Amino acid sequence: MGRLSFGLVAFLFFLAINSYYIVDEAQQAIIVQFGKPMGDAKRDAGLYFKTPFIQDVLKFDKRLLEWDGDPNEIPTKDNKYIIIDAFARWEISDPLEFYKSARTEQVAQSRLDDILNGAIRDEIANRVMDEIIRSTNREMAIYDSETSDETINLDEKKVSPYKGARLEIVKAILDEVTSKLVDLNMGIRVVDVQIKRVNYNREVQEKLFNRMISDQNRIAEKYRAQGVGKKQEILGQQIQRKKEIMSEAYLESQRIRGDADAKAVKIYAKAYNKSPEFYNFIQTLNTYENTIDSTTQLILSSDGKYLRYLNP
Amino acid sequence: MSDSIKFGDSEIKLKKPDFKKVFSVVVLFVAFITILSSFYTIDANENGVILRFGAYSHTQQPGLHLKIPFVDQVYKVRVDYQHKLEYGFRTLKSGVKTEYSRRNFSHESWMLTGNLNIAEVRWVTQYKIKDPVAYLFNVRGVENTIRDVSESIMRLKIGDRSFTEVMQTERIVIAEEARVSIQEVLDKYNSGILIQLVQLQGVTPPTPVADSFNEVNRAKQEQETLINEARQAYNKEIYSVQGKSQKIINEAEGYSIERINGAKGDTELFEMVLREYKKAPQITKDRYYIETMNKVLAKVKNKVIVDSNLENILPLLNIQKEGLGK
Repeated sequence: MGRLSFGLVAFLFFLAINSYYIVDEAQQAIIVQFGKPMGDAKRDAGLYFKTPFIQDVLKFDKRLLEWDGDPNEIPTKDNKYIIIDAFARWEISDPLEFYKSARTEQVAQSRLDDILNGAIRDEIANRVMDEIIRSTNREMAIYDSETSDETINLDEKKVSPYKGARLEIVKAILDEVTSKLVDLNMGIRVVDVQIKRVNYNREVQEKLFNRMISDQNRIAEKYRAQGVGKKQEILGQQIQRKKEIMSEAYLESQRIRGDADAKAVKIYAKAYNKSPEFYNFIQTLNTYENTIDSTTQLILSSDGKYLRYLNP
Repeated sequence: MSDSIKFGDSEIKLKKPDFKKVFSVVVLFVAFITILSSFYTIDANENGVILRFGAYSHTQQPGLHLKIPFVDQVYKVRVDYQHKLEYGFRTLKSGVKTEYSRRNFSHESWMLTGNLNIAEVRWVTQYKIKDPVAYLFNVRGVENTIRDVSESIMRLKIGDRSFTEVMQTERIVIAEEARVSIQEVLDKYNSGILIQLVQLQGVTPPTPVADSFNEVNRAKQEQETLINEARQAYNKEIYSVQGKSQKIINEAEGYSIERINGAKGDTELFEMVLREYKKAPQITKDRYYIETMNKVLAKVKNKVIVDSNLENILPLLNIQKEGLGK
């Protein structure tokens, strides 16, 4: 009795387990009977029932799924070879269709590779660099330190005839992908495509770096030359100023001296003019005192004023 | 059926297993375990998302809670935690002296600017989970998604600006615009993420060309130094020359004062004497004459006095006496 009841309980247990399934918030499910999908997809989370053993439940991810493309080298319309690394987010919008066409995520990924890479290539090849890199038409301030020439390098016009079109490009890619997927009816919807990275290929990048280096070297030279030139200029100014100052000082000093001499002469003249003959007398006596010294031999006459008393 | 086991010499009698008893023990044991595992804790910085039969039931606050066994599924999400993502570089060890990875992240950091130069951009984003339910069930691989979106938005912003703007003037604007745009996309995906901060850590010329840019800075410095040196020399020289010129003028003024004072002094003396003279002219004249002759004749060693009354004398010059030169 025990064995049988144990077996019966076990069978009922397995039956029970196989007759329900739970779909959680990140999942969606379809019922498959002998390989054929039955009924609607279950996209709401919750507890569901099915025919045990005969019907199988297949669960798919309901969330936004990743697609990360391999970096692709694509030539632009203006013949620049760039490497585009894009990504996308997609979802299984219709699990029934998905099961019928791709069945697994792996297959879906490879189909998406073709569709997305194709759309990206189409769009990029039809655009020039300015359109791809820029997204608006805001005026950029380009400082002259970026190029050493007075005229802007032809490769990077300040005002380009091409408008920044990054956002339009991305939207165009999404539109193309979406319409292809509608045609294919895979139960997939691409929600977003974005360009994650875009760079020159190695060759072009090298050239760009070399140009940047030589530009900067030219600018450095310019600064150095300007420095030397300015230094010479200041030196010249210095010499000039020095001469100016010294000559002005000389002029001034001569003027002062001349002035002083003139004033002195005036003072003397004014005073001595009060009695020219007295002045004459005094000065003459002074010159006797100054010029006659111990080496002079004087011959005096006795009727000179000084010696008149010698004559008794 | 043998109800005993022989171990060598001893014999152990097995009691016949009582299924009912064993069964009830097992049931009790299972029940005990089940009840024990129905308790769960939510930490202080977490929220618990409860799925009941797979469907979202409620979000549990921190604390000790009970769930319905087998039916309830608890997902713990750290909602009160700031996540940080680095782009273009990686911090190995943060602290007083932060260590950065030496690996090359140029695939992340090198980007084309609006005027088609390449800049090396390093930045961080900080985010929080604002909606744990959305975070768990809307997007697969949320962190990768944040990374992908951040990179593409940053390149979008950098690509619209010139090289110099990116390195110097527009950094804050770029970071703020990026934050807003990244948030827009993440909200479009319904990811339940809140971007709190986007910050540019460093924008520089790429490593292969960095030297040439540094060279420009050095050249600029050198230019400034040369000019400063020249100016300093100029100032020093001019200052010195001004000193010299001032000296010349001072000397002239000194001369002027000397000359004028001398003139004043001389003339004042003269006028004093003149006044005396005017009071007694002859006496003053005589006095001066005699004083002067006194001084003069005292100096002269060689004096010859000739009587004026003598006639017909040839005044002889004694050329033998000393004092006469040839």
